[in-house]
Amino acid sequence: MLKYEYDHNVIQVNEIENGNDVEFRIHILQEEPYLDGIKKVQKEFEENDVYTDVLFYIYASHEYRVIVRRDYYEDFILELMKQRLLQSVKWSE
Amino acid sequence: MEQQAILAIGIFLVIYGFIIAEKIHRTIVAMIGGTLMVVLGIVDQETALHHIDFNTLGLLVGMMIIVGITAETGLFKYIAIVAAKRAKGEPTRILISLALITAVGSAFLDNVTTVLLMVPVTFSITRQLRVNPIPFLITQIIASNVGGTATLIGDPPNIMIGSAVKELSFMDFIINLAPLAVLVMAIYVPIFIFLFRKGIQTTDDLKRGIMEMDESQLITDRTLLRKCLIVLGLTILGFFTHQLLHLESATVALAGAFLLLLLTGEHMMEEAFSKVEWTTIFFFVGLFVLVSGLIETGVIAQLAAQAIELTGGEPVATSMLILWLSAIASAFLDNIPFVATMIPMIQEMGNMGVSNLEPLWWSLALGACLGGNGTLIGASANLIVAGMAGKEGYPIKFVQFLKYGFPLMLLSIVLSSIYVYLRYLI
Repeated sequence: MLKYEYDHNVIQVNEIENGNDVEFRIHILQEEPYLDGIKKVQKEFEENDVYTDVLFYIYASHEYRVIVRRDYYEDFILELMKQRLLQSVKWSE
Repeated sequence: MEQQAILAIGIFLVIYGFIIAEKIHRTIVAMIGGTLMVVLGIVDQETALHHIDFNTLGLLVGMMIIVGITAETGLFKYIAIVAAKRAKGEPTRILISLALITAVGSAFLDNVTTVLLMVPVTFSITRQLRVNPIPFLITQIIASNVGGTATLIGDPPNIMIGSAVKELSFMDFIINLAPLAVLVMAIYVPIFIFLFRKGIQTTDDLKRGIMEMDESQLITDRTLLRKCLIVLGLTILGFFTHQLLHLESATVALAGAFLLLLLTGEHMMEEAFSKVEWTTIFFFVGLFVLVSGLIETGVIAQLAAQAIELTGGEPVATSMLILWLSAIASAFLDNIPFVATMIPMIQEMGNMGVSNLEPLWWSLALGACLGGNGTLIGASANLIVAGMAGKEGYPIKFVQFLKYGFPLMLLSIVLSSIYVYLRYLI
């Protein structure tokens, strides 16, 4: 399992398990440069060959609902890290 | 029969068998078949090249480039989400909305491209509503074949017929085929609701998730979208007027594609060309050369003569034979090679004295396009959706599709028979 940390002043992340998926609610609080970051994460998963790995739903005020297939959980978290939306990621027991 | 003709029939049947068996990619098989026709001297290279219909190929390439670039703007996702919101997140209404969008998209873009665009957005909506995507995908397959029937560019069989028969314009296809396609779709909609409504229930909370979405965020590049819409509009206008302008449909599509590339700049070119399904293009090339072997050796002429002997050249019997043969054959075989074989046969019937070929062309178009709904392997769009769904863990079983597709196909062919008879034969 991955544990991650983020700056609460720039982003809010909530995740819940839902069957075979993990659902995230991500609220971008600081537009620059984090909105571009989440858009890059979305583009990364929309342009690959798998249609149901990570699905993005965009709401008002830069709020995102993201449904992540369990087998793509690590890929998604690492992509958030790559785009600097997270500050740290580590393996936990 | 001449030795060359027997050889041509042998190659054709073996290649056709390999295409049906699907053990080797159909493009490789068709290209090997075409090459064999040349290597064995059944047709020379020059003659083979003359048989390749570059109008069909140009039309497909042009439309693939335009639609590939337009898809980058997020337009098709936007349309689907707007439709889902208008349906108030209600799954049955969304199912019908997406089927209708697929039908209209198939008519004006071509059905293979349309399903490629619709399937990802269908997964997205159904996952959010937590409903089974398979009923949505089955209805979209069926709608794509009905919508594709309506226009010259809607379905590969129509593209091939429109290209081979110069007298039939884009407007002729709409005037003659669109009324029936609209009628078939109008009859299918309540049937879809009846068949699928119980299996796609969701909660009010999940419907709210759809209603609260901000669809405006889905348009990723508004400048590019404007350019795409202008070019798409001009291209469709070009199709409507191509006969008045004395232009082939491929010229219109390619002009649109390269105008769009001119407006978007060189940076889009590599990506735009990567959106072209080159395997499909070369499949057509192989088939045209393969069929040229049958034409040049007189096999097609003999088949046409036998068909005329069977029906006595009588218009009603000949039209019904072509309609039902095309429908049943297209349900179980790929309709592209079937139509590639039927076109020269109908042309040959014209040479043998059948004066009014128009009902025969419309019978072929209706049979080949609507017949594709009969089974999961009946049309390219079916195979593409099934392949995409299977890869995502939602396999559409052959029998599962047959249960819905075959009766609906028979219904549409009965309607087509009545339509062809009333409109052209009395």
